[in-house]
Amino acid sequence: MTDENDIADDEEDIVLSELSDDELVEQMHDDLYDGMKDEIVEGTSILLERGWSAEKVLNVSLVEGMRIVGVDFRDGILFVPEVLLAANAMKGGMGLLRPLLAETGVKPIGKMVIGTVKGDIHDIGKNLVAMMMEGGGFEVIDIGINNAVEDYMQALEEHQPDILGMSALLTTTMPYMKVVIDEMVSQRVRDDYIVLVGGAPLNEEFGLAVGADGYCRDAAQSADMGPAMIRDRRALEVADA
Amino acid sequence: MPSRARRRRGAGRDAKRAARQQATVEISAWADRRIPYFEVLDEEALQLIEHNADTVLEEVGIEFRDFPRALQLWKEAGADVDGERVRFPRGLCRSIIQASAPAEFKQHARNPERTTIIGGDRTVFVPAYGSPFVRNLDEGRRYATIEDFRNFVKLAYMSAGLHHSGGTICEPVDVPVNKRHFDMVYSHIKYSDKPFMGSVTHPERAQDTVDMAKIVFGEDFVAENTVITSLINANSPLTFDETMLGSATVYAENNQATVISPFLLAGAMSPVTVAGTVTQILAEALAGIAYTQLVRPGAPVVFGTFAAAVSMQSGAPTFGTPEPSLILYAAGALARRLGVPFRSGGGLCASKIPDAQAAYESANTMQTGVLGGVNFMLHAAGWLEGGLARGYEKYIMDADQASALGALLRGVDLSENGQALDAIREVGPGQHFLGAAHTQANFEHAFYRSNIADNNSFEQWEQAGSLDAAQRANAIWKQMLKDYEAPPLDAAIDEALVEFVDRRKSEFEDRDY
Repeated sequence: MTDENDIADDEEDIVLSELSDDELVEQMHDDLYDGMKDEIVEGTSILLERGWSAEKVLNVSLVEGMRIVGVDFRDGILFVPEVLLAANAMKGGMGLLRPLLAETGVKPIGKMVIGTVKGDIHDIGKNLVAMMMEGGGFEVIDIGINNAVEDYMQALEEHQPDILGMSALLTTTMPYMKVVIDEMVSQRVRDDYIVLVGGAPLNEEFGLAVGADGYCRDAAQSADMGPAMIRDRRALEVADA
Repeated sequence: MPSRARRRRGAGRDAKRAARQQATVEISAWADRRIPYFEVLDEEALQLIEHNADTVLEEVGIEFRDFPRALQLWKEAGADVDGERVRFPRGLCRSIIQASAPAEFKQHARNPERTTIIGGDRTVFVPAYGSPFVRNLDEGRRYATIEDFRNFVKLAYMSAGLHHSGGTICEPVDVPVNKRHFDMVYSHIKYSDKPFMGSVTHPERAQDTVDMAKIVFGEDFVAENTVITSLINANSPLTFDETMLGSATVYAENNQATVISPFLLAGAMSPVTVAGTVTQILAEALAGIAYTQLVRPGAPVVFGTFAAAVSMQSGAPTFGTPEPSLILYAAGALARRLGVPFRSGGGLCASKIPDAQAAYESANTMQTGVLGGVNFMLHAAGWLEGGLARGYEKYIMDADQASALGALLRGVDLSENGQALDAIREVGPGQHFLGAAHTQANFEHAFYRSNIADNNSFEQWEQAGSLDAAQRANAIWKQMLKDYEAPPLDAAIDEALVEFVDRRKSEFEDRDY
């Protein structure tokens, strides 16, 4: 109780536009942590007005802020509903930055199409992954539940993501992941995408067996694995070129 | 762009980390009960047991051994005293008890925030009592020492689920028998500020306990208030002995609480049937409790029940089995009808190690105790091997269970917030509740969080070393002892206690009996 009171006593107005760049960045880390979307949008636009590049705003204030959130989520300090709010705040900032990043030709952190496979309507885990990916600055196209192979193929074609994510909760639906991947192979687009799979009945071995690039045991790990795989892939592309 | 935000400086990561780490040290002096009692006997059946208990008291009677004062008091009260056997007219014990024994009482702790109330719609979880051995993953099984005793006092002090410091948590066999009580009582006072239990192994040791409490609380305060609750076992079947009667007398005279506990291993110390054992429990409890009221009307007293079944193949006690659960439910109902607080339960098991047998058996006895309406749950933490060993890891695992059961006792929140219609309206079909406003407002305290259970994915669990519950508990108790900070104790009181203990210890030779 005393602690709460102490915090309340310290309460005071902070005008974001009056903060120095360093103070503002620090404040934005706190605001992301506390899931304050309006404040993140405001802070983002202030930094842009001060002449920061979109890429710098993204990396210094948003991505770093969400990295802290991710660490504390992993350590059990932050709870799922709080990370959800933080990811939502991040999404607000990304809304401003995304068009600017596209204009300047900076590669976005990543884009992901995600959905549960045909026959499977269990989507809490998939939603958590989407949330964590958005928190990591990803653009996430969530195609929802019960997706047939055609739905996946169409979404890939339309959105050209870096990553395709598929999830399943049931042992009876998880084999469908292989159906989707086989179709990608036969249409010769398999190597255009990173395929990540997840869900309670899966394991590493299953992921490899169906031909995925990675198995994600939980949402936090997806958010680590996705960007890392994109970085590796882009590095290879540079090397090849 | 105009800045409209009012925000709180000091929020963000540092504040959250501080708050989350603080949140675990929630002080409550008991668990409130807002769920019904689980009953296994109807009115007619309970009356039958009460009738039969009166028959036992009238026909067979109870022996009060080697303690003439008890016989004298019973004679004066109108009982039939034949040698050491006391037979009671029907209803005598009940009427003595109901005339003066309190339905609930306050046991003061040296920290007023930890002062507890025993009885009524409350459960107080108390560490296990009386083991010669300790066990931990590092050392295995060995005799307990005063250092172990201090450790268990510290761990109980730091465990939110345990409301009481207990008594002889383990026997410090490295200290002479006739002087142990000084070190044990001092440890409870020094290393914890929760209420504690006193020595009962000799009337003089009971008096030493009272005298030490007077140093802590003041003589006048102790004269008027209860600051010690102590365990008085019947020497079942149907017997109270000199040691227990002597200690019970000292405590009652000083207005300190006693837990009068028939201690029955059914099949050996009572009949093999549930109804027969419950009858004997009631008879012994009635006689013992009434005796405290003859010593001092109004002295706080608890109806105790320790019942287990013996293996008919070996004679060994068994725990967590169905029949003693039925006995507990019945005894709880009888205690409520009598109108005094009830002691039973605990995390009892016969297993030697904190394995599946220990967990099953302990969960059975703890949950039975909670559902059956135990007010003072002795043996709530650390019990292994039929009580012979105190397990460090088991202690931590049990304390977690005690906390969880405290949440069960709180019952169902039917407030508007508890009904959560707004949440259901907000989310609707096919969506999820994780981001709902109601979830955001309530998630932190919505569900009990175990500090033992591992709920991570297989891969995370494997990466963390594939630890089982006991191994995780091992790390927890070590960390707790590392983090332990003694509650402040007035230096003058501490000095006076040490002076008292040193003086008393020097007044007689060490003895091992």
